Amino acid sequence: MDVALPFLLIPLAGILAAIYLVVVLQRRKR
Amino acid sequence: MDTEALVTDYLGRLDAAARSLPASRRAELAGEVRQHIEMALAEAGGRDEVTVRNVLDRLGPPDDIVDAERGADGPPPGWTISATTGPGTQSSGWGGNEIAAVLLLTLGSVFLPIVGPLLGLIFVWASQQWTNRQKTIASLIVLVVLFLPFILLLGARAGTTITQSVLIP
Repeated sequence: MDVALPFLLIPLAGILAAIYLVVVLQRRKR
Repeated sequence: MDTEALVTDYLGRLDAAARSLPASRRAELAGEVRQHIEMALAEAGGRDEVTVRNVLDRLGPPDDIVDAERGADGPPPGWTISATTGPGTQSSGWGGNEIAAVLLLTLGSVFLPIVGPLLGLIFVWASQQWTNRQKTIASLIVLVVLFLPFILLLGARAGTTITQSVLIP
C-alpha cells in the first residue's frame, strides 16, 4: 500500500496545478 | 517641450523601473504602454503638451505600473484599454500554449506519468498569459506533490532499515 501511494499522487500533482492555473486565468478574464 | 520627448522620457523611466523584469516582458510592457498612450491621445483628439501630460498623469508613475505588473494578477487600476489592444494580444486568455499546458497537466498526468506534467510545465512557462509568480506557484505544486511522496517513501524505508539493523544486528 505505501508503495502504491506515490503512484496515486502523480496525477494529483498535475491536476492541482492545472486547477490553479485555470482559476487564475478565468478570474482575470472576468 | 516636444510632446514626443515627454512620451520618450516616460517610457525611459518605465524601462528603468522595470529593470527587474525579464527583458522580453519589459519590452512587451513598454510596447503595451506606448500603445495605450497612442490610443488615449487619439481619443483625446490632440497631441499638445497639456494633453500628453494629462494622459501620462492618468497612467500614473512608471513605478506603480511595474509594481502592478510584478505583483500581478492584472493591469494597474485605471488601465482600461487592455481589451482593445488588438488581435493576438492578451485579450482572450486561452491559446495553444494554455490548452496544451492544461491538457498535459491533467490528462498527461494520467496517461504519461511524470513526463506529462513536466511537459505541461514547459508549455506553462512558454505561455504569456500567466505571470512568473503564477508559473512558479504551479511548478512548485507539481514538483512538491510529485516528489514529496517519493522522499517520504525513501525516508520510511531508511527508517525501517535502521530499525531492522538495530533489532537484527
